[in-house]
Amino acid sequence: MATKSGNATALTVLSPIKNGTMGETSYADMTRERCLRLPIHEKSPLSKVPNTYLARLFILDDVFYESLPANDAVFNFSDIWSFFSDSARKKSLPRRDHLKSKYLVFSSNFYGDLDDYLTGLWDKWSYTDHDGNQRDIRYIWEHCVAFDRVTDCAGFIQYIKRCQLDASLFFNGSTDDSLQEQLKALYLKQEFTKFAVAHQGKSAIEIQQAFKAFIARVQPDNLSSPSWFPGQSTP
Amino acid sequence: MSNIAGKAYAMNVITPIRWYMVWINRLIFKIALNRPSTLKGLITLSLIHYARWVIIPRNAFPRLDENQPKEDLNYAYMLFFSNFNGSWDQYVDSFTFAIPAGLDLFWKWNVRYPKSVPLTPFHDYIRHNQIDTAHYYNAYPMAASNDVKSAKKVKKALIDFNAVSSDKAPDDFLKDYNKLLNDLQLQLGEMKPTPIVSLSSYEVKKRYEQTQTH
Amino acid sequence: MTQNLDLTDIQGNIIKAYGAYNYQKARYLFLRIDKGDKGRKFVGAITTKVTSAVPWEKSSKDTDSAVKPQATTNIAFTFAGLKALELPMASLRGFPEDFIMGMAKRKDILGDDGPSDPQNWDNIWKEEVHAWISINGQSIDAVIKRYDWVLEQIKASDGGVTLLTGHRGENGEDDLPYQDASVLYDATGTPTPKEHFGYTDGIGDPVFEGQINVSARVLGRGKLTREGNWEPLATGEFLLGHVDEAMEYPQTAPAPWLLALNGTYMVYRKLHENIGTFNRFLEEQSKHFPGSKEMLAAKFAGRWRDNGAPIVNAPDDESKERWDKQYAEADEAGRKKMLTDFTYNQDITGAKCPYSAHIRRINPRGSLEYGVKDAYDTPGALVNRRRILRRGLPYGEVKDATRDDGNHGIIFMALNVDIQRQFEFIQQQWINYANDFKEGNDKEVLLGNHDANNPGKVVLQVEPGSGKPPHFVSKIPRLVETRGGDYFFIPSITALKLIAAGMVDPT
Repeated sequence: MATKSGNATALTVLSPIKNGTMGETSYADMTRERCLRLPIHEKSPLSKVPNTYLARLFILDDVFYESLPANDAVFNFSDIWSFFSDSARKKSLPRRDHLKSKYLVFSSNFYGDLDDYLTGLWDKWSYTDHDGNQRDIRYIWEHCVAFDRVTDCAGFIQYIKRCQLDASLFFNGSTDDSLQEQLKALYLKQEFTKFAVAHQGKSAIEIQQAFKAFIARVQPDNLSSPSWFPGQSTP
Repeated sequence: MSNIAGKAYAMNVITPIRWYMVWINRLIFKIALNRPSTLKGLITLSLIHYARWVIIPRNAFPRLDENQPKEDLNYAYMLFFSNFNGSWDQYVDSFTFAIPAGLDLFWKWNVRYPKSVPLTPFHDYIRHNQIDTAHYYNAYPMAASNDVKSAKKVKKALIDFNAVSSDKAPDDFLKDYNKLLNDLQLQLGEMKPTPIVSLSSYEVKKRYEQTQTH
Repeated sequence: MTQNLDLTDIQGNIIKAYGAYNYQKARYLFLRIDKGDKGRKFVGAITTKVTSAVPWEKSSKDTDSAVKPQATTNIAFTFAGLKALELPMASLRGFPEDFIMGMAKRKDILGDDGPSDPQNWDNIWKEEVHAWISINGQSIDAVIKRYDWVLEQIKASDGGVTLLTGHRGENGEDDLPYQDASVLYDATGTPTPKEHFGYTDGIGDPVFEGQINVSARVLGRGKLTREGNWEPLATGEFLLGHVDEAMEYPQTAPAPWLLALNGTYMVYRKLHENIGTFNRFLEEQSKHFPGSKEMLAAKFAGRWRDNGAPIVNAPDDESKERWDKQYAEADEAGRKKMLTDFTYNQDITGAKCPYSAHIRRINPRGSLEYGVKDAYDTPGALVNRRRILRRGLPYGEVKDATRDDGNHGIIFMALNVDIQRQFEFIQQQWINYANDFKEGNDKEVLLGNHDANNPGKVVLQVEPGSGKPPHFVSKIPRLVETRGGDYFFIPSITALKLIAAGMVDPT
């Protein structure tokens, strides 16, 4: 399926949000605010969800009316008919569409299997919000249609799969290694660059000894440490 | 909070497509997947971590409950998600300069798509149909897609070198070590936080950090 | 269809690098406009002596050309200046964000931090600058004569405009009313094209449609075609009101049409050169470098210091000797070609001209295709809309080559129609960052805003497969510091007259 590129997976989720309000705030706006106020980078709850490369959340409020002028027609009959018939001219204007629900969109690029990933999302997502409350994944999806029926991980996985859309084309411009592998590689690249610069022009024996110490320190085969941590934003 | 997370920018674009044109778009994506040369420009630009195109047919918006109103739409919709390096302008500019034909191929069938050249109508079209991201997470804010790819080469070369050469006699070691550096000479850029590509996003982040520390 | 430029309407400094026409001295003045009506009258007075781009006569029979003056005069305005001149709001709102903000507020984009931070700039930049007047002269006397004339106009404005003071000078002054600049002279007193670090400057300025004698100058200076030829860049990359490389009129033009047509934007930057640090750094680094000190200096810039030989065609000391011999034997046209007509197609890995070299960073020619043939629409797709016209001259004198704290540097002026897309992009993405070159955050050596607390490095690539290690240049200090500047709009002469008459009407 096009949703995979090697071991990299593209997950696209559109979860309808309940119409209606709590007090004077709509469920959609409450959901949006919860997303907007999530802590960022290393503090984002997604940093705890294993194998998340890059992921995002936003609210799809509606679709847009195509009011900008442009020549998009492939079969351009209507343009010609428009000269002769005013109703044809009007018909050739773009139609107006509106969504009847707003959707919470979750789009993630991750390594591995979907079920494993969603299990991680359910189990590991947690953070302290700006009021000091501990929040799990249910806080984000709380106001989505039928989410109140989700009670456990299996139910969550099933729910997300009902909201999932396949990608027609998934372009992987990066690698499809596990996140630990990617982060370890980045760590090694950074450390080895420093090593190479620091030991330029030294004698064979000096470099060899230093290199052994370097390998002992950076442990290239140990993926868990030392390494960059997920979401690390400063050196 | 923002469309930007470190060196990555999250773009979301939703555009209508006539339902009877959906098959053409699907066909083009299929060809692109099976013929790597279609994506040569995109790969050489090397500004994208991951990107995807999702087509939602008119009746395919997820409906989870009888009480959820059924969508009644004239068009199918194409969603484009990209994780790219650089600012919005830099990215859209680079794409229109470098691969205008490729962009046209993918969006041509969308309602009122203006073509990628001249630039301003294309800019306007993307902006018009773009939805801002509320929360964007990037596992490696200091790394561009180039860095992730080159890091993979460095790691492999380092492990291979260590296995083969680390215990050789010093002079042979040095010879191999110099060859290692030669092989890796295009992979040794240092990674630091991103330059500030958007003043507004930078201001938002500064205010955000202030609220965090108080 | 070739385009003819209206050279009588375009200010001369846009088309001509005066230094190349034997104008060895320059003086830059900055003014505040205190009263709209009197300010406009002053602009009208200056406009009578504004130098256009008309070619200077070679013989007296040449009726289409003008007599070459002893001194030139040009004028430009900041956004605040145009506001002070009371341009209508409907015109003002059409200017782009970067120009409206001005250079100091763009410091985070430009990397003007630490010693380059606006708080360390010359005093004059602590005031609101409204207008810039430049005088270029064939002699210092000609400059002073024109300067005195400008002072008379300021006086005659009767409180309409004020000449701002606060430039740093040669003898420790910090309150000078002007910024002087001059070509540098060799020991015999002959003018040279050098700047204070010893590099030959101002070689490969872009060539665009409508310029005179394009075919003779376009090699290596226009845009690279798929067939490997050079064509002039679109006029609209450098002049408002003309079609640009994206096949449209620049979107940065204010209304009405006549206000924008034949005008452009100018980035003015006073760049202090840390001479002592540069000399020590070069000396120190060359001790470990497998080549001469001059070769290392050439690796920084992409050109050899003595004659500007492009290092891509003269990558080491030995090949440089051959290049020099050929250069000595070449005629005038042949020499120009040797200096500008090259690509990096045979140097994809940077073994000859490293990715970090100044000229490869500011104009990568076709090299961002990385040798993947036909990857892009055209080999220069990522470059053609990032070009700038460079103007300017060195300022000050190096009295002690071991010290940084003298008064020496470059007055750098970049001309383009879209500051953000052209100048700022180069400064941010290609000088202070290197993702397009796949080198992470490695900054360009000479102009990069290197951080003293966390100094950077660059990799000087070598021949791949040679088994030799690349050379690392590390602990790079801040060699160039920003000492001031702003963003200016250079109107056409027609627009100047409209502004002066208070007749700008965007209705």
